[in-house]
Amino acid sequence: MAEGFITSDASPPKSARKFDAAPVLRTEALSKRFGGVVAADAINFSVRPGEFRCIIGPNGAGKSTLFALLCGIHRPDSGRIFFKDVEMTALNAFRRVRLGVGLTFQTNRAFHALTVAENLDAARRNRGERRDDHFRHALSAFRLQDSLHFSARILPHHQLQWLEICMALRQGPEILLLDEPTAGMSPDETLYTAKVLRELSAAGLTIVVVEHDIAFVREVADSVSVLHFGRMFAEGTVAEITARDDVRQIYLGRA
Amino acid sequence: MRQLFRLIGGSHDIGSSRWFWSALTALAAAFLFYPLFGSEFGATNVAYYLLNIPLGLGLALLWGYGGVLSFGQTAFFTIAGYVYGIVAGNMTENSAGTVVASCAGLAAAGVVSAAFGYFVFFGRVAAWIVPILTLVLTLLLSTFLGLTAGYQWRVGSVLLGGYNGMTGIPALQVGDFVFQGYSFYYVTLALVILCYLGLRMLVNSHPGQVVIAMREDELRTELLGYDVRLQQLGVFVLAALLSGISGLLYVQWGNYITPSSAGLIQATLPVIWVAVGGRDSLLAVCIATFLLNQLTYVLSSQGNQYALVIVGVILVAVMLFAPQGIVVAIARSRWWRRTVDPNASSHG
Amino acid sequence: MDALSEVVSVLYQFGTNAVFLLLSAIGLIVILGMMNIINLAHGEFMMMGAYIATIATEHGSPLPVAAFLSFLGVALFGMILERLVIRRFYGRELGALVVTWGISLILAQGALLLFGPYMPAIAIPSGSFSLGRYSFSYYWLILIAVSIILVGALWLIYNRTSFGLMARATMQNPAMARSLGVDVEKVYALTFGLGAGLAGLSGALLAPTTSIAPFMGQQFVAPAFITVVVGGGANVIAGAVGSSALLSFVQTPVGLLLGTFSGMVALLLTALIIIRILPAGISSLLQGRSRLAGAR
Repeated sequence: MAEGFITSDASPPKSARKFDAAPVLRTEALSKRFGGVVAADAINFSVRPGEFRCIIGPNGAGKSTLFALLCGIHRPDSGRIFFKDVEMTALNAFRRVRLGVGLTFQTNRAFHALTVAENLDAARRNRGERRDDHFRHALSAFRLQDSLHFSARILPHHQLQWLEICMALRQGPEILLLDEPTAGMSPDETLYTAKVLRELSAAGLTIVVVEHDIAFVREVADSVSVLHFGRMFAEGTVAEITARDDVRQIYLGRA
Repeated sequence: MRQLFRLIGGSHDIGSSRWFWSALTALAAAFLFYPLFGSEFGATNVAYYLLNIPLGLGLALLWGYGGVLSFGQTAFFTIAGYVYGIVAGNMTENSAGTVVASCAGLAAAGVVSAAFGYFVFFGRVAAWIVPILTLVLTLLLSTFLGLTAGYQWRVGSVLLGGYNGMTGIPALQVGDFVFQGYSFYYVTLALVILCYLGLRMLVNSHPGQVVIAMREDELRTELLGYDVRLQQLGVFVLAALLSGISGLLYVQWGNYITPSSAGLIQATLPVIWVAVGGRDSLLAVCIATFLLNQLTYVLSSQGNQYALVIVGVILVAVMLFAPQGIVVAIARSRWWRRTVDPNASSHG
Repeated sequence: MDALSEVVSVLYQFGTNAVFLLLSAIGLIVILGMMNIINLAHGEFMMMGAYIATIATEHGSPLPVAAFLSFLGVALFGMILERLVIRRFYGRELGALVVTWGISLILAQGALLLFGPYMPAIAIPSGSFSLGRYSFSYYWLILIAVSIILVGALWLIYNRTSFGLMARATMQNPAMARSLGVDVEKVYALTFGLGAGLAGLSGALLAPTTSIAPFMGQQFVAPAFITVVVGGGANVIAGAVGSSALLSFVQTPVGLLLGTFSGMVALLLTALIIIRILPAGISSLLQGRSRLAGAR
């Protein structure tokens, strides 16, 4: 479905942004074991409002576990999670979403039995409508208003991923958590997704992305957190992280 | 009003073209005018095939649209029937007694399903445990009711009756008008049509989308901010109320109810109707329920011992060869769309 | 002397209830616990075992031989059924449930049509002993011993033989097992056959304690499923043993004080409470796993 997503126009400038406000999402010493495997080891993680953070790390580093802990799919063995100043550690997943967290998944989970419009409708919970400017921007940027009456079953993969992002934005969350949103997309589609996400970030949305694709990370991130064997290994700007030898080594398996 | 038609005409049930609605209206008319041609006895029989439809629809909603399989819908059918019998039997001097009894029967079905459902859904059990626990519930109920022979087992002046069940249950009456025979037929028909249209509107509406989403992907639905446990409980109670409606109609039909209504074989039947018709279509379930009830009734009144074996074979055959249901398979087949209804969408 | 006989009576009752639960569940442990097939024809497998045993003893064979024949007969039937029907429902839990339900209808009604509503009973072998005002049948004590041996044998097969290793690997990851050269289809057939055979064997063993009729399987269905559900999937064999002990611990006093039916109700209520607190069954406690926060 090549519609010329090649972006020759630049994404909004990624100058070094300053973030002073109190963190939107924060963990304290978050730990999780599965049987004998330590999937998360005393992780301290925090994201400030408006920041665009990418979580990277080699396979098995614990990125998906951290994501699942933040969403509420798993409960941590120890440690705490805060959303602004509300402690989320013991909250059910749906309560976290109601607090203002939007999520998408690595394997696409749009509802195939529903049309695009119905999927978006299902994502609207009728209660406590917050801002919908991010949602509207994403909807038009991803051009989904042209496909509203199509069944989700027939959408191509990248549009399903975009649909998921719009669904996550439907309730006007303050923070968007994405698990490998560009998995399975072509390079053009990946770049376009990066562009739209940058636009949302510039408009004030806090975004955290778990990602493998270093090119994508370079395009979008203000800052990067590197996980290794379940520990927070390094944090910093993209430039700082990619310059570090030890980060390169954990990817090559020498650490 | 247009909103109403849009909801009814939505895509989450088979049939949405003009041809379809004309055919359906003709069918409804046929049922309306049947008593002019048939005897009162015939009308009572047709009413029997109709009164089980809400029971089937409740399971279709719960299983087909919501993804929760319950083998225990007959428990709520039976509870409603027995409670109606108890309350109506104790209020015979009161002309509003049977109306109160109907409300009591439905309320009882609702309360029991809510309590049971709380433990099951808030425990977030694996999907396969629900059919087993609901089956155990209905079997226990049936066993319990079978133990209630003897004069000490009574509520007020009404005997529970043990294995032989409760007899002499009063018919519904509003004011001085008693619903029997033809009037009972029309009440049943009206209720069935209302239930079908109401549910069709529900599954095409926003709450209905959420139920379907829940069936497709529970975790995702939860992560859109919905309390899935509460949703499942809600659908479960609604299905129980629909079963209760069938139970109330049943005691009107025969003026009796026995523990076997909650027993093993009866518990199977709604699952068979829904599986054979097609669990994700309300209309298919209506059709299958009607026809299968007719089949079993005719077979057993002929003394045919093979009735249940035939039904078992039908079920296994459908599961093997037409798992989406026979009616649904026909309605979505290319043959149907080419020869009978060219305007039918392939989706709905 | 009186107090002793009371105590022994209660212990005996506890033991018989636990054994009944365990024997009802043992075939299901394999089919449900390991293959994840919700087999609603389980009661009918046990009924078939009881029928085979009844016919065999009628022709003069002693009970152990009859029980063995039941095991073989139902195992064979199970393997044929797996090949023809069950195979198409792997991964489709609710579909398997519904189709086995249809099969159970056919089997039970078929038994009614073929053999009529009554079969001759099998006399309880081995006699009894008395203590105080109670008499206890030795047969249940024999059954306790037999069920311990059966469970032990099952554990050995699955944890100490190469078949068991292949079977466990196949259940966890059939694609991987196939690529290691395991004949996955054969493993499925043998496992289902084993589960069916065990159900038949249990049916034969329990036959002397109950009346033989086409719908007799139904008395085992609820206890079997409750036992397996409460036991949980983390460690199927240990879980089932633990759960039959736990459930009997609840059922025995309630049954003694309030009657058999109340005992069954107590079973259901216990199961409901346990799954509310421990959704993965008590075997998750035994494995020391942490509880997942709600998602399945």
